[in-house]
Amino acid sequence: MFVYALRRIGIAVVLLWILVTITFVLYLKVPQDPAGFLVDLQHASPQQIAHAHHVLGTDRPAIVQYGKYLDRVVHGDFGVSWATITFFGGQATGAAVGPMVWQAALVTASLLFGGLILLLLIAIPLGVLAATRPRSFTDRLSLALGVAAISTHPLVVGLLLQLFVGNRWKLLPASGYCTVSSPSAQQVQAAKTSFSPPPCGGVGQWAWHLVLPWVTFALFFVALYLRIVRARMLEVLDEPYVRTARAKGASEFRVVRGHALRNAIAPVVTMLAMDAGMAIGIAMYVETVFALPGLGRTLIRAEEGLQGYDLPVILAVTLVSGAAIILFNLVADLVVMALDPTLTRSSRRRLLRLAGRTA
Amino acid sequence: MIGVAEAYEAPPARGPWALAWRRLKRDRVALGCGIFLLVLVFAVGPGAPLYERMVGHGPNDPFPYAVSVGLRPAGPFTVTWNTSRLADASPYAFKHKDPPQGTGKTFLLLGADSSLGRDEFLRILYGGRVSLEVAVGAAIVALLIGITLGSLAGYVGGFVDAVISRVTDLVMAFPLLLFLVVIGSVFTYGITQWTFGGVLNQGVFQLIVIIGAFTWFYPARIARTQVQSLRHREFVEAAEMVGARDSRIMRTHLLPHLLPPLLAYGTLLVATNIMIEVGVTFLGAGIKLPTASWGSLLAQTWGSILNPNPYNPATTQPWLTLCPSVAIFLTVFALNIFGEGLREATDPRVVR
Repeated sequence: MFVYALRRIGIAVVLLWILVTITFVLYLKVPQDPAGFLVDLQHASPQQIAHAHHVLGTDRPAIVQYGKYLDRVVHGDFGVSWATITFFGGQATGAAVGPMVWQAALVTASLLFGGLILLLLIAIPLGVLAATRPRSFTDRLSLALGVAAISTHPLVVGLLLQLFVGNRWKLLPASGYCTVSSPSAQQVQAAKTSFSPPPCGGVGQWAWHLVLPWVTFALFFVALYLRIVRARMLEVLDEPYVRTARAKGASEFRVVRGHALRNAIAPVVTMLAMDAGMAIGIAMYVETVFALPGLGRTLIRAEEGLQGYDLPVILAVTLVSGAAIILFNLVADLVVMALDPTLTRSSRRRLLRLAGRTA
Repeated sequence: MIGVAEAYEAPPARGPWALAWRRLKRDRVALGCGIFLLVLVFAVGPGAPLYERMVGHGPNDPFPYAVSVGLRPAGPFTVTWNTSRLADASPYAFKHKDPPQGTGKTFLLLGADSSLGRDEFLRILYGGRVSLEVAVGAAIVALLIGITLGSLAGYVGGFVDAVISRVTDLVMAFPLLLFLVVIGSVFTYGITQWTFGGVLNQGVFQLIVIIGAFTWFYPARIARTQVQSLRHREFVEAAEMVGARDSRIMRTHLLPHLLPPLLAYGTLLVATNIMIEVGVTFLGAGIKLPTASWGSLLAQTWGSILNPNPYNPATTQPWLTLCPSVAIFLTVFALNIFGEGLREATDPRVVR
């Protein structure tokens, strides 16, 4: 178990390294001059451009840049966002990428986790309901609605929800994000003096603003999970132990929840892990639609700049999302182990054997 | 007893494809979706140039008379002047002045696409061609890589299997969409320009390669498990015994078993790929304008319903968001239903 986890973490580190390397190599080939962030390329003298390259660190050989970058990342420093660099009193300063990407990651995480919970809350009960009444009207309707939901692009679903729920009926906020923590008195005062709308915050406001994004996110995945829960439940309900439980006089609810569902849920967790990469992509659409300042938005903004691409930000976003996917896969594996009684027993035995060998 | 056996006439044996076709025929909804897909392929393939011939203008031709003075594109079923020049461009007029004598008329089935006044219907047809090219091409690439690597891993086993499985894990954990956006928005040369002598539109090949290169893991897993389960069956061992080479066993004995489920999965993959193309182009990293694709058509006026132009709310034209959305929805829906029907029809275990 421990060795297994260690091996997985080792693979994860290699994976992240490959991810960073590919991104880095790709951007060496981009025909845009990052010096454009600092100086006006059309009017600057060669010395000024050279100085800009020196400030950005792009005047060194690629391999040195790469080594330096890896070294800094290992020490937890993601560098400075090129787009924010200014010469203040002759000194080049800019916003650190680390905190910036961390803030964005929190937004994406709240979108993903809320969406995940909503997804499971919809898909599991509906799947169980469909499986206990196969070929019924409920079954067919839920499957058909699921396919319709997965066939509609999240951009369109989001737009429809915004248009009707947000704009026309005014039930929920149509876009924007609120932090979980309440705004400080300082922020409130700053907003007042600058005549901008008051900052929003707090758990209630946060959830209130995220309802529509969560629904958009969950609707896209519901069909897949509904179908797998239904298929697994149909299989499991035919198993001998379910028949035994029924024969012993357990109530239908107890049979479904206690005996069948627990065994039907493991593949759902595995599938969630497989879809993690896809989910981050879908989150990017949702963030675009609802103007959430998450990882996807940050990435797109880092590339849409007129001067060029903001490489430190792009690398950091790639790293963080890759790490999140790997971490989620790891957690999913552990959850599957915890759910599956046979697997746990055998791995426990393997652990004992390993302990005996090393001792 | 012998008499009974003779009286009973055995039904003719059917091949797996004939059986699958029989099952598919019974699934009315899936069959209907299949027919819709055939019609669609005809419409965006030979149909688009035919329609272009019929109405006499191309997908990139602007018709300023199909746009009102207030910049509102015309709605469906519009007949407009067949000219790309306005007689007067005064923004203060309430109505465009008629063009000079002798100008012909032309017909826009779904109206104009934007303030440029291009034919929306023609752009949807040509855009559908681009989107389908990307989706089908990427699915083929994914299936080719997946079948090759997956069956290799299942057949050879051991070290090869371990390596291929690790690579599969790696690809699976790749945030594909983020990566597509990262690459697509900055690369404007090299592979993006490859069109194979004008067969494909610009940027199509790039999307095909990248999407295909990151979605092959699932076909590979299906192929691997299938080959593993068939590897030591009697018919494979019999073939080995008579001295068939590995490549022959793989080709003639194993591949026919792999194709049906993978074909069905490929159909579902096409549906996913359409969604990916739309999303990536929407985010500005896919097919570049003026080439139409469903993604760019959706992006062009997306959100204008929500936030009408503050200076001129009358320019909002909901058709332009509705048309590509419906086209995408119908296609992906049909592909999903048909793929699911195909999977059930080719899977002998499914009892309906």
